[in-house]
Amino acid sequence: MKRILSGVLASAMLLALCACGGGKTPAETAPGTDAPETPAEASTELNIYMWQQYISDELIADFESQNNCTVNLSYMSDNADAITKLTAGGGQEYDLIMTCDAYMESLIAGGYVEELDMSQVPNASNINSAYWSSPKHSIPYLGNYIYVVYNKETCPIEITCYNDLLDPSLKGQISTIDGARNLFPIALIALGYDPNSTVESEIAEAYEWLVKFNENVVAYGAAEQNLTNGTASVALTYDGNASWAMAEMGEENPLVVAPFTDDAVQLGFDMYVMPTGAKHTDLAYKFLDYICTPEVMAKNLEEFPYFCPNDAAVAAAPESYRNDPAKDFDYKENVFFQEDVGDALTIYNDYYQKLKVGQ
Amino acid sequence: MANLTKVQRRRKTLGVLGDLYAILIYTVLYIPVVVMMIFSFNDQRYNYYWSGFTTQWYGKLFGNHALMDSLWYSIVIAVLATVISVVVGTLGALGLKRYEFRMKKFINGMIFIPIIVPEIVLAVALLIIFMNVGFALGMGSILIGHCTFCIPYAVVTIKGRISGDGNTLEEASMDLGANRIQTFCRVTLPSIMPGVMSAAFLSFTLSIDDVVMSNMLSGAKNTTLPVLILSMNKSGVTPDVNALTTIMILVIVACMLLSNAVKAALRKRSQAA
Amino acid sequence: MSTHINDTADLQAISRKRDVRRKTIPALAQAGPVSVWMILFVTLPMLFIIYISFMSRGVFGDVVYEFSTESYQTLLDATYFKVILKSLQVALFTTVLCLLLGYPFAYYIARKPPETASRLIMLIMIPFWTNSLMRLNSWLLLFQTSGPVNNFLQWAGIVDAPITFVYTDGLVVLGMITNMLPFAVLPLYSSIEKLQKSLLEASSDLGATPRETFFRVTLPLTFPGIFSAVILVFIPSLGIYTVSDMLGGGKVLYIGNIIKNQFGAIRNWPLGAALSVLLLVITGALIFLYTRFAKLEDMEVV
Repeated sequence: MKRILSGVLASAMLLALCACGGGKTPAETAPGTDAPETPAEASTELNIYMWQQYISDELIADFESQNNCTVNLSYMSDNADAITKLTAGGGQEYDLIMTCDAYMESLIAGGYVEELDMSQVPNASNINSAYWSSPKHSIPYLGNYIYVVYNKETCPIEITCYNDLLDPSLKGQISTIDGARNLFPIALIALGYDPNSTVESEIAEAYEWLVKFNENVVAYGAAEQNLTNGTASVALTYDGNASWAMAEMGEENPLVVAPFTDDAVQLGFDMYVMPTGAKHTDLAYKFLDYICTPEVMAKNLEEFPYFCPNDAAVAAAPESYRNDPAKDFDYKENVFFQEDVGDALTIYNDYYQKLKVGQ
Repeated sequence: MANLTKVQRRRKTLGVLGDLYAILIYTVLYIPVVVMMIFSFNDQRYNYYWSGFTTQWYGKLFGNHALMDSLWYSIVIAVLATVISVVVGTLGALGLKRYEFRMKKFINGMIFIPIIVPEIVLAVALLIIFMNVGFALGMGSILIGHCTFCIPYAVVTIKGRISGDGNTLEEASMDLGANRIQTFCRVTLPSIMPGVMSAAFLSFTLSIDDVVMSNMLSGAKNTTLPVLILSMNKSGVTPDVNALTTIMILVIVACMLLSNAVKAALRKRSQAA
Repeated sequence: MSTHINDTADLQAISRKRDVRRKTIPALAQAGPVSVWMILFVTLPMLFIIYISFMSRGVFGDVVYEFSTESYQTLLDATYFKVILKSLQVALFTTVLCLLLGYPFAYYIARKPPETASRLIMLIMIPFWTNSLMRLNSWLLLFQTSGPVNNFLQWAGIVDAPITFVYTDGLVVLGMITNMLPFAVLPLYSSIEKLQKSLLEASSDLGATPRETFFRVTLPLTFPGIFSAVILVFIPSLGIYTVSDMLGGGKVLYIGNIIKNQFGAIRNWPLGAALSVLLLVITGALIFLYTRFAKLEDMEVV
């Protein structure tokens, strides 16, 4: 027993020393040693960084067996995680990374993403170009409306515009998405400004609006949970999450999409980009083409009922998707997109922090 | 006599109050665990509220590769982190307690930094260093991160068990002809074993539940279970995670009961002999 | 060999050699790994954090290696002051509650026979083998509007309409305490256990009332344990953000959130580094205070 223990001690010592050594050696060898794989040789693994609960496991398994490869999915807990991966230097460990339109301009300008060879993604032609903000560097995957959903039985008022969310009767009733770049555009629209404004005085006014809004908020995040268990009667959330919440409520679903009259709602896209220096580009292109295939995406929509920019896939999608009550609203065209606001992001963030710090 | 019974009675009520208080504290600590177990039987896609009984998650659990892989990864990391931390920590505790050297004060101070500095600070610091030297993120980086906060706990725990009055027993052992390694294994180690065990226990606990460090330092291939659970925040936690955690805690408790039983049996045997 | 011993120089050399074999090699073998590890993975990263905090921020959130005190100037802004104050308040509140709840509990365990005591300690640790986020989520499930607690209260006729427990400060405090309590109990237990029973008996034999014994003997003697508990609870509470995010509904940002955001969404690494340095300074001050009362090496962790 004691001999074994001392053996373990010795071997673990070695391991620890190796770990110490490992910390230093890559410094000298890092640049240039990762020789790019010869394109003739097919890759056997694909590393993707994306949201959890956003793609069907079955589709991944099919892709793996078709291409005789392993797909390693790892998940972010925040959009910013992806940006950190791309910009801090760990990006090339992945072949595809999911990001959203608000960051695309800076990512391209900073040279963090590869220009895509669209000839290798023939099925991308199914994607509606109106929803394709950076067609050279990204493939849109799914989109999200950020709109208002409320429980018509428990919500004291009818909500037809963002300003209704400030109604004092809604105190402690709203469950909302979080994040500066999701919340400020809503306030800016309510005030009649450009949702991607870079004017500080407008953002400051939006901040004042959000302070009032904040008083009615019960929680940031977890909208489905709060809507279904009765904690909140109103939610500012994504269409896919609203769809799940409605399905969860069963036959007599009291949740409705707010009948907005004038205000535009946000439509954001999650897109795949290829980080500069990605290693398994052959498989990455195959994967991109695979998810753009109408039948494949249609199957995915059954499980993940988000807004889909792939028109052919929507046409092929099952009844449940096309008759989804969460997609039953008539201002689908009245949308705005998140744009890269550049340096103004700091202004947004400062006011956002101020908002969360409170008085 | 009457006075004594009064004291006794008072002791008794205090004892009962103490028991009640302890039960209350344990209840509060265990409620979340019990609720978590109950919701592993919840018939709902995500755990939002109780909507009916099912055992399906226990079946589906093993088909969820992401979950099983991350569990395996977490266990491997926790075991490796525990072994490294205990070895480095045991040696370090002995060295720092018994020898004088120039950097001793400095190293003693450094050891407290991971204990007292918020984890996020250390995680970020390591991330920046790794990025700057081009050290690829992955198992190695997570392991280094975990060891960096486990080793200090191990050192401090074990140091508390080393007798302050020097190494008389060890010197005796060496005088009797044992070499340094024999002395270490037969004299030193047994005397600090309780400390080593609790250091191992603590390291494992800290490593298996770590979110902050693992989230910062994980690479492309794998994530640990806590990081996977964190990434579920957008949509909600699926009940199969509850099922997995339930199985984990039951296995751990069973292992502990078993080891206690074995220990008791061994003790009985050695007493009988 | 004996012929050479007369030479004093030789003797010194031999004794030095012996010293190397007796002292230096084992010292190096024992203290070496831990020293190397700490220097590589604690000292260097910490120095780098301090270095980065004096750099400036690039347009795209990257670190530009030019000297600047901008980050520290930003910290003077009232917003950050409020965040720090708020974080200190919550951490302090959690610490005080954990001490008040933990001390009697640790005392109770320490008075049991060693076998039982170690089992009771084990029993505290078991919940910590499950994921902390899952445990926090349990509190939400339990207390939510249509949850078991509200259902029971309504069924028993105690209340008519469900009470909103979730996303309140009360629930955050409950979550903090259930997460931090063991870190208070373990060091307290260690120091109470070390108390020699004979001292307490002597005190009571000398005519002290139990209260006097407690305040004059027990409490002062367990002070290192109390201060360890303060440090082990207060400092992690200062940096924690998961509890307030999950149980508080993310309505309030604490310093932990802000640091996390600087390295994530906001991408201002120098500011994040400066905030980290600030936390270092706060904890450094606490430790300095500690060393006024006790030796750092005597700090009880478990």
